[in-house]
Amino acid sequence: MSVIKCINLSKRYEEVLALNEVNLTIERGEFFGLLGPNGAGKTTLLKILTGQLRTTKGEADILGMNIEDNIMEVKSKIAIIPEQESPPSFLTPREVLEMVASIRKLDKPKIEFWIDFFDLQPMEGRVCRNLSRGQKQKVMLAAAFISETELMFLDEPFINLDPIVQTKVRDWLVEYVKEGGTVFLNTHLLENAQRLCDRAAIIHEGKIQSVIKLNDLDKQNINLEQLFHEIIL
Amino acid sequence: MNKVILWRMLQEEIRLNTSFASGKGFYSFPILVAISGFLAVMFTEQMMADMGYFQYLEILHIGLMFYGLFAGSLAFFGNDFLERIFGYLGLIIGLPNTQPITQRKITLLYFIKEFIFYSFFTLVPAFIGGILGAYYNDINLLNLTKFGLSLSISFLSGLSFAYLISSLYRISWKTSIVGAGITIVIYLIIFNSLSVTASLEWYLNNNLNFLVIAILIPIILATLATFLITDYHEQAPVQMIGYQNRLQEYIQKFDWARNISHPAIISKERIDLQRSKTGMKMFFSFAFPLGILIFMNWFIDKGLPIQIDFNTIFYGVMVGFFGTMIYSWLNTIDNPHFYSTLPISVSEVVRARLVLFFTITWWIPLLFLTLISYMSSEINLLPIGIIVMITVGMYIVNYTAWSTGLRTNSALFDSIVFLKFFLVSVPPMIAMTLLSLAIKYSISIVLISLSSICAILALLSIFFYNRIEAKWLKETFD
Repeated sequence: MSVIKCINLSKRYEEVLALNEVNLTIERGEFFGLLGPNGAGKTTLLKILTGQLRTTKGEADILGMNIEDNIMEVKSKIAIIPEQESPPSFLTPREVLEMVASIRKLDKPKIEFWIDFFDLQPMEGRVCRNLSRGQKQKVMLAAAFISETELMFLDEPFINLDPIVQTKVRDWLVEYVKEGGTVFLNTHLLENAQRLCDRAAIIHEGKIQSVIKLNDLDKQNINLEQLFHEIIL
Repeated sequence: MNKVILWRMLQEEIRLNTSFASGKGFYSFPILVAISGFLAVMFTEQMMADMGYFQYLEILHIGLMFYGLFAGSLAFFGNDFLERIFGYLGLIIGLPNTQPITQRKITLLYFIKEFIFYSFFTLVPAFIGGILGAYYNDINLLNLTKFGLSLSISFLSGLSFAYLISSLYRISWKTSIVGAGITIVIYLIIFNSLSVTASLEWYLNNNLNFLVIAILIPIILATLATFLITDYHEQAPVQMIGYQNRLQEYIQKFDWARNISHPAIISKERIDLQRSKTGMKMFFSFAFPLGILIFMNWFIDKGLPIQIDFNTIFYGVMVGFFGTMIYSWLNTIDNPHFYSTLPISVSEVVRARLVLFFTITWWIPLLFLTLISYMSSEINLLPIGIIVMITVGMYIVNYTAWSTGLRTNSALFDSIVFLKFFLVSVPPMIAMTLLSLAIKYSISIVLISLSSICAILALLSIFFYNRIEAKWLKETFD
């Protein structure tokens, strides 16, 4: 069953065509990567799929629902890590998780687990405004992971994280997908995409240039970086 | 290099303004100003007949000085708020962080940019409107030009004073208060027996010495401000640790409001208000326009041949109207982007801020009104004043919330939004002001009329409140 479906999706900002007739289908349980150079349209597509932007043309269905007609229903079933780490400035990390749990009406939120997981105990008593960018990103990840949704949209989630946390997050995401979750990952870090994704699309100048199965690349003896350069340059 | 930076700063200012107001709204603002200039000159004779020649000119100069002060404050403190609203904003003024240019130089260029921008954006259009008005009014164009120039110098004085305060504020807020106080005292001593500004003295008496003094004042203030700027600046320390987790406690406290908005959102906004210490800023931003209002009242009383008694009911109207500022402050505390990751709508956040406005910040306007009433020995009028204040506050804040959502400050830069706001707010305020002035002549008629207007405003408040959902439901936090 497809959890994400884009049909002829376009987005125009005045004179700039940010997305051009994007067609994409992602199945449940997939770890899908959207790769592309800076300004290719990755974040615009993610924002449309998460109801943060409206399309100019075309349709996007998430979990079988049209996103523009069912924004709240869709948002309650997905978790989002935006490109810029922006947890609430004046809340402590614990308060952020409590707020997310309350808004999402989580029965037994695993607040302690995520505070431990991201080593946020030393940040107790501090508000997010006073945290480093990496610490803020940990709070954003914890706020998304605690939601326990079946679909996750991650926009450059590894930026600003130290290597140890990166590994922990990667391992957790792999487990999450094994257990039936679906991940839509925006990144230009090809190494992470190669390690994690089942399939990936390469987007350039707002158009999907290629959709590839990562396993097939191994069979063809070509790595993702080579393919990426071939398509983009 | 300076010219290039200055030119880029002007481009940046225009792009910044057109990015948060519509381009059409931004570019039509000078037209509104030109119309105002036209009307001001058209009705000059009438105003002079009512107020007196000297008082009319003086009040225009005071107005322009305060405008300069306001524009300067907005420029020098506004970037902080913009960052809170929109997230990180890389502006040219931040160039010294990465490039070999001093903070002193870039700030001076920023000040010059402000003068050029506001001159072309407001002063020049007002002057053009004035020329058109002069055509119908037979006012000597040379005189008008001379007066326009004198007004521009007063505006520049206000702007440079704001520059000095902001420069002192970089040292500490205490220094800025002391510095501002000393500057005002020196100014008052020098101009005690003269016109309110040196440029007006030059206009009235044709004494070139005063023109030189008028030009020297902003130059001295700006030079002093520039020299006080150093390259190493650390912001005032913020509390780093020791925050108690209070969200759950507030969620329980605001459970009664769950049909209005989500208690967790209200609680988050409540904590923001407390930890950002915005309550104190709200208090002082309330004191400033009210201080001007009281000063104007005193000034008009002094200048006009007839006595006008602005009473507690009038101040109730004004204080209620200033509720817009409190709502606007609530929108500047934190960047709302995090909400975009959650299943909540913009309308829920707007309503949460309305809950805060009506439950947490009510003491600020009430305190001011009670003080004014006590100082005017009008405690008997206080209950009516409070009812008027609450009704006007509800009306204007619900309208502001409905029309501007979470972007009050930037939306009001859009001249179309601003014009609508003006049309919605000014007529009832004028009607209530006139009624408040007439209370000692016919108390029963005035009370009945005030009650009727309050009832209409209350109904309109409900109307605007009910439309918030539809207007902002599908809006994004982006």
